[in-house]
Amino acid sequence: MKKFVDESWLVLAMGVVFAALLAATHTGLNDRIKANEVEALNQAIEEVVPGVETKEQIEIEETGAGDETAVYKCLDADGNLVGWAVQAAGPGFIDKITLVAGLSREGDRLTGIKPIKHTETPGLGNKIDVKDELNFYPLQYAGRSTAAPFELFKERVRDAKDTNRIEAITGATYSSQYVMEIVNDVITRIRPQLAEHR
Amino acid sequence: MADEDNGSNLQQFKEGVLSNNPVLVQLLGMCPTLAVTNSVENALVMGAAATFVVVMSNLITSALRNLIKPHVRILIFTLTIATFVTIADLTLKAFMYKVSLQLGAFIPLIIVNCMIICRAEVVAIKNGVGRSLADAFGIGIGFTLALLILGVVREWLGSGTITFPFADPISVMPAAFTANGHNWIIMILPPGAFLTLGVVVGISNQIRARREKGGAA
Amino acid sequence: MSFGGLIAIFLGVALVNNLVFQGFLGICPFLGVSRKVDMAFGMGCAVTFVITVSGVVTWLIVHAVLTPIGGAIGHTEALYFLKYVAFIMVIASMVQLVEMYLRKFFPGLYTAFGVFLPLITTNCAILGTCLYIDMKPETQHLLNAAVYAFGGGIGFLVAITIMAGIREHIRFSDVPKCLQGAGITLLVAAILALAFTGFTGIGK
Repeated sequence: MKKFVDESWLVLAMGVVFAALLAATHTGLNDRIKANEVEALNQAIEEVVPGVETKEQIEIEETGAGDETAVYKCLDADGNLVGWAVQAAGPGFIDKITLVAGLSREGDRLTGIKPIKHTETPGLGNKIDVKDELNFYPLQYAGRSTAAPFELFKERVRDAKDTNRIEAITGATYSSQYVMEIVNDVITRIRPQLAEHR
Repeated sequence: MADEDNGSNLQQFKEGVLSNNPVLVQLLGMCPTLAVTNSVENALVMGAAATFVVVMSNLITSALRNLIKPHVRILIFTLTIATFVTIADLTLKAFMYKVSLQLGAFIPLIIVNCMIICRAEVVAIKNGVGRSLADAFGIGIGFTLALLILGVVREWLGSGTITFPFADPISVMPAAFTANGHNWIIMILPPGAFLTLGVVVGISNQIRARREKGGAA
Repeated sequence: MSFGGLIAIFLGVALVNNLVFQGFLGICPFLGVSRKVDMAFGMGCAVTFVITVSGVVTWLIVHAVLTPIGGAIGHTEALYFLKYVAFIMVIASMVQLVEMYLRKFFPGLYTAFGVFLPLITTNCAILGTCLYIDMKPETQHLLNAAVYAFGGGIGFLVAITIMAGIREHIRFSDVPKCLQGAGITLLVAAILALAFTGFTGIGK
């Protein structure tokens, strides 16, 4: 017993000290980390729903596979409805993709999408996120009708505003597909439930 | 490698950066070198995080070196490294959220970066704090330097930009390069990573061989 | 989960998202132990075993220990910051167990491996796989996680054995001096990575 204590007291002592250190760091930084996530969400909502000043979260009945779905009613400074923002998540190429989709007041058009959390391949899959105007992928969703689910194409269909054709990112077909599936889930499952909350 | 009795701390530091560079000479820490050098920003942040961990690890190992029993030393090294990597990860998530998402699982993978545990085993357990810190900083900066070289090449040719931390991407190629995908995407993909590292290692070997020949002659 | 789904997970990580050629994991042993086919194959098997067991055990630690305890104190994710420390401790213990087992029952193999056996602990493929199992939505069931871990190991085995086969042949080629060893291995790996890109699309 003495030998055991002799050999390992340092390990146990360090274990305790380090665990305390980690707990302290975690407690100290956790609020900030959560705030980062909230800020990313708010920034995304502002980008996809023009004119929004405040938002109210509403409850919807059916949550699907990604229980991170959150639906927000977007109001302007006078409290009028300007649009809807839906935070939705789904599987991605590497890990989960979380995005915010903006819908028009009537719910009949998308006002835009913005991925807020993803770990897609840098340089390729991460073009689902707009960093500059060279990245067309998320921009092509703006203004599209929500009448029918989207389909992925490899040809240049990004400007075909009246169709349900989405152009994939070259070399990132999977990431493009996964994002599109999340958007399709939003327009087929969430959109019909918005009417009752208007 | 300078042996522990002669050679100064400065020499230990310089060795870590150049003649004993962890990536190009010792061929350690290859995984992050290939994975996060797709942009300069990722390369620099990873380099900084790894430097932080190796410095703290060497510091603690060296300070406690007379108390660490041989049988449990690997366990202690691992515990220390895992703790500081977790701290680095939390700090990154708090202060550089976007970059932390880009680096993904590679920050926790610093734990198994062979170069860090190697420094603890070879230098920190036998030397005083001063020498161990010099070594840690040298290795950390050497690692960052190697990552930076790869990051610059891969991002330049692969995306046509250079991105520094906290800043927006700077376009360094004419617009025609990135329009319509004429940029060399392969540089960002795995084959390009292997290719760039292979070429850089080859060039660095050539430089070292020339230098040795020059020195011996 | 359906059998087809499990096959998809297995092929997905063994071929399409091969740990070495797409995920950049396990590069150090991939470069270091790929000189001869028999050593490479042996290393691949050892790694597959450690990955599978570690993947399952770390899954259990997250789902059966950290999450319930967190739930009990009110915040499920409270203890997640201990994950990395817990994972690496598990992996280090598994490798220690493998070492003791080999030393007792297969001493020849044990001596052949030499220093590479404890180095399996620092194989980022193992920790990386455990982390990915924890992150990915499709491995939230134990069986899926086990299949994923096993597939990852097999993918590593395939990668390292192919590389060893090629390197045995390269010994007779005229490689420029500055590229000998790691240089040429990396360049060959580049071509292999390109070849493995051809697997994308399987699994859909």
